[in-house]
Amino acid sequence: MKKLYTKFSIVAASALLFVGCEAIDPTDVVNPNLSESALVGQPNSSQSWLNGIERQMAVTANNNLVVAEIASDNYVNLQTFFNQFMDGLAIDFQDDDVDDSQFHIARLREMALFGLNEIGPNDPNYSAEIQAEYEFFAGHSHLMAAMYYQALPGASGGPVLGRMAHLDAAINYFNASDATSANTSAKMGLARAYYLKGDAANAVAAADAAIAAEPDFLRVVRFDPQNSRGNSNSNNYTVNMLQDAIYDRGSFDDLQPLPKLDFLDPKYSLVSSTEDSDVPMYKIEEAYLIKAEAANAAGNDGAAETALGDLFTVVSNRPIRSISDLAEDRFEREPGSRPDSTDISVNGVTGLVLDRGAGNIDVPSVSGTSYDAAMVGGLTGDAMLTAIYNIRQEVFIAEGMRMVDMGLTLVVSQNESLLNSNVSTADTEADIPAFLSAISSEIDAISYDAAARTCTITHDITGLIVANKAGDYVCPFH
Amino acid sequence: MRTTKAVLTLLLALCVQMGFAQSRTVKGTVKGPGGEPIPGASVIEKGTKNGAAADASGKYSITVSGPKSVLIFASLGFATQEREVGSNSTLDIFMKESNEQLDEVVVTGQGVGMSRKRISTTVSSIDSKELKKSPAMQLDQLIQSKLPNAQIKLSSGQPGTASIIRSRGPVSANTNTTPVIMVDGVRVDNLNSNAQLSLNTGGAQSSAIADIPMEDIDRIEYIPGGAATTLYGADAANGVLQIFTKRGKAGRASVYFETQIGQMVGTEDFLRWKRSADLVFTPGLVQNYRLGFSGGTDAFNYSFSGSLYQDDGFNSVNQQVRRNFRTTVAARVSNRLRYSASLAYSNSEFTRDYNANTSYARFGNLEGGSFGNLDSLTDQEFDDLKQQLQDEGDVTNITERVNRFNVANNFTYDVNDKVVLSLDFGIDSRNSKQQELFTNALQITKGSLPDGTTDQGAIDVSSRQFLVLSSNLNAAYNEKIGDFDFITTVGGQVFRENDYQTLISAAGVPDGSESINNSADQSVQDFYNTVTSYGIYLAENVGWKDKLFLDFGLRFDGNSAFGEEIGLIPLIKVGGSYVISDESFISDNISKDILTLAKIRANYGEATIFPTPFANDLTFALNPYNGLQSFAFSNPGNANLQSEIAKTTEFGVDLGLFKRVTLSFTYYRTLTEGALFTPPQAPSSGQAAQEKNVGEIENTGYEIALGVNLISSEKHNLNARVSYNSNNNVVLSTGGAPEFVVGGFTFLGSWVNEGQPLGYLRGAKVVEDGNGGYEVERNAFLGTTFSPTFGNFGIDYTFNNKLSVFLNGDYQFGGQGVNVDDVLRYFGGVNDEDRFPQEVLDAGITSFFDLAGYWVEDANYIKIRTIGAEYNFGSLLDNRVKGLRLGVTVQNAFNWASSSFDPDVSGSGFRAQNGFAGGGFGFGTESAPRIYLATLRVNL
Repeated sequence: MKKLYTKFSIVAASALLFVGCEAIDPTDVVNPNLSESALVGQPNSSQSWLNGIERQMAVTANNNLVVAEIASDNYVNLQTFFNQFMDGLAIDFQDDDVDDSQFHIARLREMALFGLNEIGPNDPNYSAEIQAEYEFFAGHSHLMAAMYYQALPGASGGPVLGRMAHLDAAINYFNASDATSANTSAKMGLARAYYLKGDAANAVAAADAAIAAEPDFLRVVRFDPQNSRGNSNSNNYTVNMLQDAIYDRGSFDDLQPLPKLDFLDPKYSLVSSTEDSDVPMYKIEEAYLIKAEAANAAGNDGAAETALGDLFTVVSNRPIRSISDLAEDRFEREPGSRPDSTDISVNGVTGLVLDRGAGNIDVPSVSGTSYDAAMVGGLTGDAMLTAIYNIRQEVFIAEGMRMVDMGLTLVVSQNESLLNSNVSTADTEADIPAFLSAISSEIDAISYDAAARTCTITHDITGLIVANKAGDYVCPFH
Repeated sequence: MRTTKAVLTLLLALCVQMGFAQSRTVKGTVKGPGGEPIPGASVIEKGTKNGAAADASGKYSITVSGPKSVLIFASLGFATQEREVGSNSTLDIFMKESNEQLDEVVVTGQGVGMSRKRISTTVSSIDSKELKKSPAMQLDQLIQSKLPNAQIKLSSGQPGTASIIRSRGPVSANTNTTPVIMVDGVRVDNLNSNAQLSLNTGGAQSSAIADIPMEDIDRIEYIPGGAATTLYGADAANGVLQIFTKRGKAGRASVYFETQIGQMVGTEDFLRWKRSADLVFTPGLVQNYRLGFSGGTDAFNYSFSGSLYQDDGFNSVNQQVRRNFRTTVAARVSNRLRYSASLAYSNSEFTRDYNANTSYARFGNLEGGSFGNLDSLTDQEFDDLKQQLQDEGDVTNITERVNRFNVANNFTYDVNDKVVLSLDFGIDSRNSKQQELFTNALQITKGSLPDGTTDQGAIDVSSRQFLVLSSNLNAAYNEKIGDFDFITTVGGQVFRENDYQTLISAAGVPDGSESINNSADQSVQDFYNTVTSYGIYLAENVGWKDKLFLDFGLRFDGNSAFGEEIGLIPLIKVGGSYVISDESFISDNISKDILTLAKIRANYGEATIFPTPFANDLTFALNPYNGLQSFAFSNPGNANLQSEIAKTTEFGVDLGLFKRVTLSFTYYRTLTEGALFTPPQAPSSGQAAQEKNVGEIENTGYEIALGVNLISSEKHNLNARVSYNSNNNVVLSTGGAPEFVVGGFTFLGSWVNEGQPLGYLRGAKVVEDGNGGYEVERNAFLGTTFSPTFGNFGIDYTFNNKLSVFLNGDYQFGGQGVNVDDVLRYFGGVNDEDRFPQEVLDAGITSFFDLAGYWVEDANYIKIRTIGAEYNFGSLLDNRVKGLRLGVTVQNAFNWASSSFDPDVSGSGFRAQNGFAGGGFGFGTESAPRIYLATLRVNL
């Protein structure tokens, strides 16, 4: 009996320990995620990495567009959890949105560089087209840094570069991209970079090259709501966040457009339950607007008129989306407190406001404008420049451009300043044009008399831009 | 791998050292001072886990290893006695009444069962008598206000939601304060937050603690983290809570039946508008039926208990059903080998309403001012709104289903008189599924979609399969040399957790489908989390004359979540306790009637929390993107990642006075070194945040527990207890990292920064600018959600041993919280009056970001958690009915708070799975409901 127990004990203990060994062997813990070797050196990895950059572009756009639209006079944030500071031009280095903005611009660049340096060279199927795209995105990251920042580090933990240095870097990458494999995106990138640099000759040359290559060119940021994860500031949030802000009503999200832009809102709306609207990244309209502004700056308003005429043709061929905006209406929290009907005049002009309660509305999904050839016919000098900037505002609404046109820039964030010794205190301090800081709390202000059916926009921001065209902040060709 | 082999070799070595010696059975009766039997008295063989319980007649039977075995007899209210078995086969014991609990035997954290006086750290326990009084249906509710040094806050009144369980304050920014939970020596799932992939229904946090099987709990031990948990290593820095289940007793089978019936009503104490309750609260029926039986022989015993619980919630959406059973067996396999096991199953299903952070939250919208000032609604508007909310409730469909198996096995082998081997192993397997039918009808009812929409429905299903396998093998050696006695324990532990989750989303679903197949598009995500932890330990407890004890422990801890540069981590503990009242210089000078007992104790020990699994690895992510493969940077990786180590120094004194008063005082300081922080990288790197051992966190405080027997007579017995705990928590260092967010919102979040408490509330604060005006101070300190002072209290009166009336509650002072609901009301222009100074508003400071500080309120509270009465009719019908008890209780009976919101609830303030949870955001969710229950229990 004793023997039996001894045997039983040993067998039982061995069995238990054997089972235990299987269960406790730490090497059996396998990380289901991908290591570097699962990617670098694999055939076609460069294409998959490029797809990842495109996806990152969507995230980068999310983290810049909403902030840029709120900072501008395009949209006011009346009651949501979207940025609360930018409407009043309180640009603060401690603002998380400022941190997120520059993080995602840097992430776009780092992904492009990793593609150029690691993924591409190790992929046997690496093509010139893919390399050109990597170069394009590296350039676009620098261009975004120049658009939205007075100064920003241009490399991981690197020195703080001014706008001009970022524009030069962008131009180098765009040129490289177009040389690696000719593409209109790089040409449009060049046009915008030269424009922001104030180099009219090169900007117009690039614009012409883009028009010649693809006269209806449109490059978009694509979103993927179905595979979006995490919070809105996560690296995996691929919902079109601006669409959420200006259209979707799943939550208490409600950005309100400047009433004179009401007819252009919402540019982004539900496409299907699994698809959000694309956001234009570059479109040929910009080439014509650059040409028009260059001509105006050179005193050749006739050429500006011609360029605008071409622009109107392009705009007229862009799609119009018929949507129901009934659920959102105009200011859901306090219906009727903002202009909400076609008969309401805005600064004396009627027809700029839509009636969302009266069935479907038609809204341009790429470009729209209230201007036509007749309205710009014969305009000269500042009148023409004013028209150009009003058209820019309309055509580029919800594309993050108006903030750039206004000369507003963000600052290096607190996290960067704590972790990067190259950052100086000055880099973290906002540099706001005086003509805007004087009215910082009234950038989006309107007065609305519901009974009289009239709305007046308190400040003509475009007028201020034109009046200050000679300054450093706005109108780069002047 | 090498370390694993070392562990296995040791475990094997322990196993094969089995020897043989004589064992014997001892029987007897445990009686009170008057000769009355003491049912349920515990009988434990000293230095082992071998134990038995006296039956209803006070009779016990236990097999011990030999004549030198010492039996420890213990029962609540009586002084513990120790008797050597010697040549006796019968030992009748007369117990003396006592008001002190210092001789109670404690198992958790010690390797083997050990008398409390040998232990140099704080230990709390709740016995079955106390547990029986509470009709709570989930573990955190059950222990709420009963553990003197722990605080439990329930985050919501919705079913199955998470809690914040804390004792000495948060030691980690990387995880919440929930202790390790064990049932009969086996780890169980203690996830006290949403899983990584879970449904977003507006902030409600699901919890695995809500469905830990609650059948037949005999006793609960809780040891706060620090020195007491060194032997557990791995993740024991938050303490260990261990549940011991009942075992059958030798003798005639006993059967009991229990039924509870009552009503659940929504708590209105914290509502902004009483009309919110009128609009969505409806009282619901609560019923619970429980059947149990147990019995056995000296060689084999068994018990079974099963229950069926159902409630209708306190609104029209919440419903809950629970089905539980537990079976236990214990057998003497041979003279030396004993085996016991418990097997439990729990099933719960409930429906949940939308909460807080979604526009579909009915309650959240009401209290958040979406419908304006409810008091100014006309009767017609009120009726319309009620109908609207009812319609929304009717088409709300969020369900959660949990199936859970919990198996614990224990083998005890008496090698000889002095050496006992013990092996615990078992599993906890928990499968949960959440499903949300986000129908077109719901969205239409809510006004989000036009009438007639049929293609915008969605179904989300999240599933989690969790398995933890744990095992503990140890050998205990007892030796007595002269005035010294030694308890030496050597052992090893291992556990492995597998966590696999999926989240399936279907879009474009027509109403009527509960299958994701019927949809225009489907997507899926999964999540794996696997970790293996292993450790070996050696512990030595040396006693001198049964009054001075020294305690040493050493553990080597390994974990698969460590970086590749990290091997085994050594952890040490050292401590001592001294029963100074047994010294003649005390006992000769101070009467035992005055100073019943005085024990001083001091300890230093180290416990850990292991890093997030896989956070050590450099990884890339492949994300789906419009049907394409898309790669991205993922985790940067950290080869030096290891556990954060909480080093606790504590000392204290336990006093028994006038035979009526017990007083326990403890001071502690816990320093978390290498605290796991995940601060942001420089934005210019474009890289995600990486977990690193860079922080240093300090917790200091006092724990005072007082118990007083106010009246003790033949007919009347009145006991009261109160505890007071202080905790000062501060982040000493972030290792140069910028501060980082761990919860809350952008405008007002929980943050980690040097010099501040963990998860302190950070937001804008309006301050005077010195020129008679105001300015906004950004990112200011606004408060801490971990209250620096908390405690609980209880009163228990017994008349004639028949009627008992009891009450317990808890309190906190000094913490803060955020009234997020009023932020939402501010958007709607119906915020609380006088929330802001008018002159601040007049100064043009009107953004809710800038006004954030005004929504932070002191969150002091006193709450009576349970009031109850019970009458014991004793035996009836010529003892054919052995016992009949009738009781009534009110749960969550009374609330007082300094804040205008419930300081318990938190619709936000929880991070990702198992992440930091500071709570403190009063946001769109209901408080725990008030429950009126009547209980009838019949023993046959």
